[in-house]
Amino acid sequence: MSAADLSALQRPNDRLRRRRVVNRGMELLAWLAAAMAVAILGIVVWSVAKRGASQLNLDLLTKTPVSFAIGNVKQGLANAFVGSLVIVGLATAMALPVGILVAIYVNEFAPRAVRRGVGLALDVLNGVPAIVIGIFVFGLLVVAHGQSAYAGAFALAVLMLPLVARATIEVLALVPSSLREASLGLGVPRWRTTLGIVLPQTVGGIVTGAVLAVARVAGETAPLLFTSSLVGTTVDWNPGHALQTIPVAIFELSESPDPADHARAWAAALVLLLFILCTSLSARWLATRSRRKLGRAAR
Amino acid sequence: MSTLDATGTAARRPFSGRRVRPGDIVLQGVAGLAALGAVVLLGLIAYKVVDGARLSLSTFGLGFLTHVGWDTVHNSMGAASFLFGTAVTSLGALLLATPLALGIALFLTELAPGWIRGPVTALVETLAAIPSVVIGLWGIIVLGPLLRDHVMPALHSGLGFIPLFGTPTTGSSIFTAIVVLTIMILPIVSSISRELFLGVPTELKEAALGLGTTRWEMVRGVVFPYARGGVAAAMILGLGRAVGEAIAVTQVVGAGTGIGWNLFNPGDTLASKIAEDYQGAPTILETSSLFYLAVILLVFSLVVNVLAQVVVRRAARRQGLAAP
Amino acid sequence: MPKNGMLTRITLALAAAALLGAIAVTTAGAAGKRSASTLKGAGSSLVAPAVATWGEMYSADSIQYSPIGSGGGIQSISNRTVDFGASDAPLTKSQGADCNGCVQIPWALTATIPVYNIPGVADHQLKLTGTVLANIFLGNIKHWNDPAIKALNKGLNLPNKSITVVHRSDGSGDTYVFTNYLSKVNKAWKSKVGSSTTVSWPAGIGGKGNAGVAAAVKANSGAIGYVSDFYAIQNHIAKARVKNAAGQYVLPKISSIEAAAQLVKSEKIPANNKISLTNPPKSQKYRNAWPLSTFTYVIVPQKTSKAAELKAFIKFALGSSAQNAIKKLVFAPMPAAVVKAANKTLKSIHS
Repeated sequence: MSAADLSALQRPNDRLRRRRVVNRGMELLAWLAAAMAVAILGIVVWSVAKRGASQLNLDLLTKTPVSFAIGNVKQGLANAFVGSLVIVGLATAMALPVGILVAIYVNEFAPRAVRRGVGLALDVLNGVPAIVIGIFVFGLLVVAHGQSAYAGAFALAVLMLPLVARATIEVLALVPSSLREASLGLGVPRWRTTLGIVLPQTVGGIVTGAVLAVARVAGETAPLLFTSSLVGTTVDWNPGHALQTIPVAIFELSESPDPADHARAWAAALVLLLFILCTSLSARWLATRSRRKLGRAAR
Repeated sequence: MSTLDATGTAARRPFSGRRVRPGDIVLQGVAGLAALGAVVLLGLIAYKVVDGARLSLSTFGLGFLTHVGWDTVHNSMGAASFLFGTAVTSLGALLLATPLALGIALFLTELAPGWIRGPVTALVETLAAIPSVVIGLWGIIVLGPLLRDHVMPALHSGLGFIPLFGTPTTGSSIFTAIVVLTIMILPIVSSISRELFLGVPTELKEAALGLGTTRWEMVRGVVFPYARGGVAAAMILGLGRAVGEAIAVTQVVGAGTGIGWNLFNPGDTLASKIAEDYQGAPTILETSSLFYLAVILLVFSLVVNVLAQVVVRRAARRQGLAAP
Repeated sequence: MPKNGMLTRITLALAAAALLGAIAVTTAGAAGKRSASTLKGAGSSLVAPAVATWGEMYSADSIQYSPIGSGGGIQSISNRTVDFGASDAPLTKSQGADCNGCVQIPWALTATIPVYNIPGVADHQLKLTGTVLANIFLGNIKHWNDPAIKALNKGLNLPNKSITVVHRSDGSGDTYVFTNYLSKVNKAWKSKVGSSTTVSWPAGIGGKGNAGVAAAVKANSGAIGYVSDFYAIQNHIAKARVKNAAGQYVLPKISSIEAAAQLVKSEKIPANNKISLTNPPKSQKYRNAWPLSTFTYVIVPQKTSKAAELKAFIKFALGSSAQNAIKKLVFAPMPAAVVKAANKTLKSIHS
């Protein structure tokens, strides 16, 4: 073999080696980025879990806060847990029917242009920052009627509406048109078809959407600062009053100089995080179950 | 999308002679009212916010956008300091989060052995579930002191010649806010990117590899171009999230005013300024000016939203052409 | 195909939910421990410990108070989202107009104090003057071993640490008192920054509420801030001595606050009860006076449906048992002339 042939054999090898080196380098960078990201995520999650778990005790759920506690007074956040329950519950009760109705209109009745318009409005509404929603509800309701759990629930409902509507739209679209046509063909009125035949098929998806929306707003602080922050320390179920909520309680405790306050904040944060994780996981489980059921129904 | 059309047209085509029942009208009416309500709600939000800003709009006009400083005693207020703060924190967070997010996404789709994929994905989703107030709590108690005592002095002594890394002071600073926002938008960008990368047709990837490309060349030549639009949309969504974040930022940013190079100084963003000052504004003019900030924030989120939609639509169209 | 039963099942479920909801809402009204006569208040974090003490003494769960800062208190009562507002800063003219017929009644007397966190400098050791304070908060003095500070503190080992200024980020009565004092003693401060519940701070980071400033000062070595005296004591933060006009380096105590309150005797109390106690003059009478003393006010609409409950509570707060109960929180008993004026204003409240 001549020298020219030998060099011809070597040249592609150089290029190949360079490409392989670049490839290795990029793979390493990806591993590095992933490792860094995992480390950061891990540190945050571990921080919350460790600090929260060490401070978690039954007092948190059974005792109420004491202002300017001197000495080791047993305190808790019972009023915040109750308040969060009431406000998130009310918000769901407000957002769910409206979201379902919007989805029904968009999917079953609306002409194409209107469908696009409402869809756009929902997407834009989803992107409005929570603090702007807070100021809006403050100007709309609080200035005239004072703070209340209703005002706070309304603000959270505005945040939940796009999520519930979108989820319902998607799952309504999955219902095969053959089902509707068959029902209409048998003479069932349109409204009965929609409510009695189409909607029950989508219950799983709607519940999924609702649960995901709850997970989203359970930790929202900004809108509640404007609508339900001037609160008392006793356990109160009355939605006409402003009620303390877990996110607002954590926010206030986080700015305190007292390490005992920080401890309670961590414990509450862990409970909140666990709640959100559980609801997200159950939503996902419900989603796969309802998708399987719809798949079966389509056959 | 085609199913939606099929459902709509099939159910709406009336049979000849089919009576319209009162129930139908009621349902359509009520549902239509709800849909109208959603649209009206959006308009109402815009109206209320602009209405609240009216005094400040008439007093300061557009000069508000360029005036630095917020002086309620001498009644001269402007958004420039907070526009700067929002821009620096959000773009900084996007700059830091995007490579990390893409790295995780690539790792999970191309490089990770099967047993790692589940836990890492679960970790990312857990982080997405953490509410902003908890990240802020962590920022105050853990991150702030860590940055103040170790990271900021190290950056200052090593890279102090860059004006960005000036003299560090406390744990509450623009830099801390950037780190907090990075952590918050990382899950969004990475999970969307991961789904996009998973959606790349395997035939395309195998074809490239079959032609002799290395893994990286395949990613660069097939995966990235395919997912480009979606990743851009994910970045824009992450940016929108960072811009609108009020609570976690107000807990760590230090409530400072002014424009400067030093990232280790305290600052403020549009959203965090509103959260701080709204409750105790001493004059109606300041309250109105805070509404003015909310208007700017609203406009910004609208622009980001529309931009994301445009990018997604353009990418979908391009993919429609590219798909076999 | 699903039977008709599905529709009935859904309707029944919705009806049940509605019924449950109705039950919950009606029982909720009864279950609330609060009665209709609960007074809701918000505002100054400075007076919050006093209101908490009074609330316990007055009657169980009848006073609900949110310490959101004096600025927040003024805003809340102007919007009528609370029954009473509390502020250390008296209402400005425009705030008075916005409040639409409110009166302010002084109901407690205490002080604001500069606090610090300097390694190697213990409590009460640091001495400051108004001018030095102004220059620190203006950002002109940047390190603890600056000659201006060293000149006042000969014999103190001040480290070469940069000063971290901590101020309030919310609308604050303590800010009003502090900036009011600085405006009186330093011309540069008066023209550049001025005095209000919210000012444009030339330097430093912001903390939310007295609690937030206390937390920030404790957490940052080299920090200086200002809090109301109770918070400094409760959180074990080092307090600075301030030189008053008579030339004495004093600390806020009941005696030094009462010395400053002597200003009331020589000045007449205006109809709106606006009294300033900052920077008492040079004379012998005020030798031991604390220059950052302040009254704190409760702001109430003159015409309110809760007139009876409010009058009863405020009268209790102005009474000797209530004023004595808060002495241990470093609230000095108010001069008799002020109590008299306060009760006089109280009478004008009606439903």
